[in-house]
Amino acid sequence: MKLRRISSLLAAAIGLSLCALAAHAFDVVDERGTTVSLPQPPQRIVSLLPSLTESVCALGACERLVGVDNYSNSPAAVRALPQMGGGIDPNVEAIVALRPDAVLLAKSSRVTQRLEALGLKVLVLEPKSHADVQRVLGKLDQVLGTHEAPRVWRVIDASVSAAAQSVPASARGKRVYFEVNSTPYAAGESSFIGETLTRLGMKNIVPAKLGPFPKLNPEYVVRANPDLIMVSVRSAQGLEQRPGWGGIRAVREGRICRFDALQSDVLVRPGPRMDEAARLMAQCLVDKGQ
Amino acid sequence: MSGTPAIEAARVSATLGTTEVLHGIDLVLSSARWTSIVGPNGAGKSTLLKALAGLLAHRGEVRLFGEAEGKIPARIRAQRLSWLGQSGTGEASADDLMVYDVAMLGRLPHQRWLAAPSAADRDAVERALRSTQAWDWRDRPLGQLSGGERQRVLLARALAVEAQVLLMDEPLANLDPPHQADWMQTARALVAGGRTVVSVLHELPMALAADEMVVMDKGRVVHHGGCDDPATHTALEQVFDHRIRVHRVADQWIALPK
Amino acid sequence: MHSAHLRRVVLLGAALLVLGVALLLFGLGIGSTGFESLLAARHDPVALQIVWDIRLPRTLGAWLAGALLGLAGAVAQGLFRNPLADPYLLGSASGASLGVAVALMLFGGSAASTQWVMRLGLTGAAFIGAVLAVLLTLTLARGVQQTLRLLLAGVIVGVVLGAAKDLITIASADILQAIQGFILGSTGLVGWSACAVMGAVCAVCLLAAWALAPVLDGLALGEATARSLGLPFGAMRAALVVVLALATGAAVAQTGLIAFVGLAAPHLVRSAVKTTHARLIVLAALMGGLLLMAADLLARWLIAPQELPVGVLTAVLGGSYLLWLMHRRSSRGGLS
Repeated sequence: MKLRRISSLLAAAIGLSLCALAAHAFDVVDERGTTVSLPQPPQRIVSLLPSLTESVCALGACERLVGVDNYSNSPAAVRALPQMGGGIDPNVEAIVALRPDAVLLAKSSRVTQRLEALGLKVLVLEPKSHADVQRVLGKLDQVLGTHEAPRVWRVIDASVSAAAQSVPASARGKRVYFEVNSTPYAAGESSFIGETLTRLGMKNIVPAKLGPFPKLNPEYVVRANPDLIMVSVRSAQGLEQRPGWGGIRAVREGRICRFDALQSDVLVRPGPRMDEAARLMAQCLVDKGQ
Repeated sequence: MSGTPAIEAARVSATLGTTEVLHGIDLVLSSARWTSIVGPNGAGKSTLLKALAGLLAHRGEVRLFGEAEGKIPARIRAQRLSWLGQSGTGEASADDLMVYDVAMLGRLPHQRWLAAPSAADRDAVERALRSTQAWDWRDRPLGQLSGGERQRVLLARALAVEAQVLLMDEPLANLDPPHQADWMQTARALVAGGRTVVSVLHELPMALAADEMVVMDKGRVVHHGGCDDPATHTALEQVFDHRIRVHRVADQWIALPK
Repeated sequence: MHSAHLRRVVLLGAALLVLGVALLLFGLGIGSTGFESLLAARHDPVALQIVWDIRLPRTLGAWLAGALLGLAGAVAQGLFRNPLADPYLLGSASGASLGVAVALMLFGGSAASTQWVMRLGLTGAAFIGAVLAVLLTLTLARGVQQTLRLLLAGVIVGVVLGAAKDLITIASADILQAIQGFILGSTGLVGWSACAVMGAVCAVCLLAAWALAPVLDGLALGEATARSLGLPFGAMRAALVVVLALATGAAVAQTGLIAFVGLAAPHLVRSAVKTTHARLIVLAALMGGLLLMAADLLARWLIAPQELPVGVLTAVLGGSYLLWLMHRRSSRGGLS
């Protein structure tokens, strides 16, 4: 009896210490291919990319964020956090002053080397496609030690499927033109937005071979004659008056969805709010698509 | 020294752009003499002077004291030959330099790399500035001087080199008569000291006061002879289309328009 | 007395140096976390890191970058005999931007290219871009003989490389912000290693420029006169172009494209004392360093904890002083 008790205690002790060991020093490989070794899951995190901020919060580690960039605005809790600067000028001193255990940032950030030289742990992660979102969630899961990613992804995926279900049959298969800004830059089939549209059962007038965000000749849009146009309010200024655009089906029939700034943020960011993005687009299809 | 000619030019031809400016010039300039070069506009006087100074690409050979000029290292040549160009050719940027510093530039051929000016350099600069009466303004920037004052500083720069041969292109530009006379005295003193002076001059009375005269027309040397020689006077009148006449007045040769 | 003039030069140099040191110390107290970091530095390792590893090298870096730009500006104005010349005349600015654009574009591309970019760093790419652009200008102009041709080639290279950078930015739209950040210029990324590099380049360039300065003085009297003084004209000029390229490249690589310092610093020196190029270059370096450091401190302080782009402040500071000088000059009647 006593022996069994001792051996079970011993087993528990070994098990616990093994767990403790597992909670310590582990290595993560970020998108640069660099191996970052973390002594333990970071408790103070600075995120310099809005989609990464949202991913951290989606995994339930929102309270570990101590600083974000100027553009991170979701969920509402992060708006109260100190802002470290925009994409152009992340403030190195402010970041260091927060004593973060880990800094999350995008590939194109300029401060990566400087922060590493100052001894901070830097992880470069940048989701760009649907598959990326799942992968980055998994990677962050590993970093944060939350074990939430599979569940979170299931929920997101299911929500996107539900949004796809809600698209009325009469709207399915229609041809959509998604304009990112008025140059015009369009979101093609291979972009994040394009992937969402495909999942909703829509066709994109910009095929994958033109790239994710091609700069189009406006004539192309006129010739393609989309059934539906999705655009942000700022970029929509004077869209109907563009030369030749009056003849486009979507313009004639008034099938233009205009998204405001906050909605545009959701649509454009490849992150855990992609289900919300899918719902926004589905709503647009319900309103203007049939 | 008086045996070897200071400068010899053999078959010197030069092209500016596509125009042939000098046509096979042969010239021997003796040392310790003052030679003036005259001729109508466009005769090639400045070009010839530049070619003699080694500053212009030319065909033919130029010898400095018997040595082929092309073979003399640039620094040695600069120590032996001082050249003063026509004023007004791109010196606006010198406006900020002090007069003293401008004159000191003439000592560059004698200064070693990175060396500060020596006592010899300073003495030479002082002598040069005093001889053109520019010593009093040595702390003024060049840009604050009038045309004539600038010219005297640039002259001082050329004199500060203390070279054996001085080639000067229109050295009297902007100078008032007293200072023209000063310049003439300086030239004479230099020649008396054994140096060679060659000057392109528009002021014919001054040119006629030299020892020898080279008359040029259309890129060729038309005449080379003593300034007292009547043949020289004839050549001079001829090259200016007989629109001038050489007269003797008060112990000097002058040329007056007819 | 000539020594009075020399004394003025030395006084100016000493004043610039003292002011520089003063601003350097002052800069220890300015940043997004304010003066408290300086006070807390003794017992707080993070505050110490902020003061010692971030603020000090940044401020020193501003001094060095400004010195490099001032030096390059004085050399450029002497080489081209043009008071409007600045260090970016030979295309180095566009070359550096193109280098950064290419590096950013390659960064996510493949594993091999990412490795290369990480090893080289954005600063390395910018430096190489600047130097290659100047080499391209020299090749187009076929040597340094003709000033006008060199200037023209520099303008062409600047425009063409700028267009290439624009094309790259259009193709990879997500690097746009990073490029813009580089173009606006900032000392925020300068650490101790950057200071060491800039310091070394500054020392080398100052010595070289000091030795080569006589050719700039000679050039002031006209090219023919300079040649008649026996200087190895072509070689010295080429060497000066190399000094210009190195100094500009080093500054731009670390702090981006900061305008106006190279243009204004020599003018500010000349407004106080007129002297030969050797001393002008050294004084312009000191003045440039002071100008950029002052602008950087203001940039960090005015809207702390946020920062203004330092290029805006150099233009405001340098520009307003020059405007005042012009006004004083014209009210006195044309002569300075």
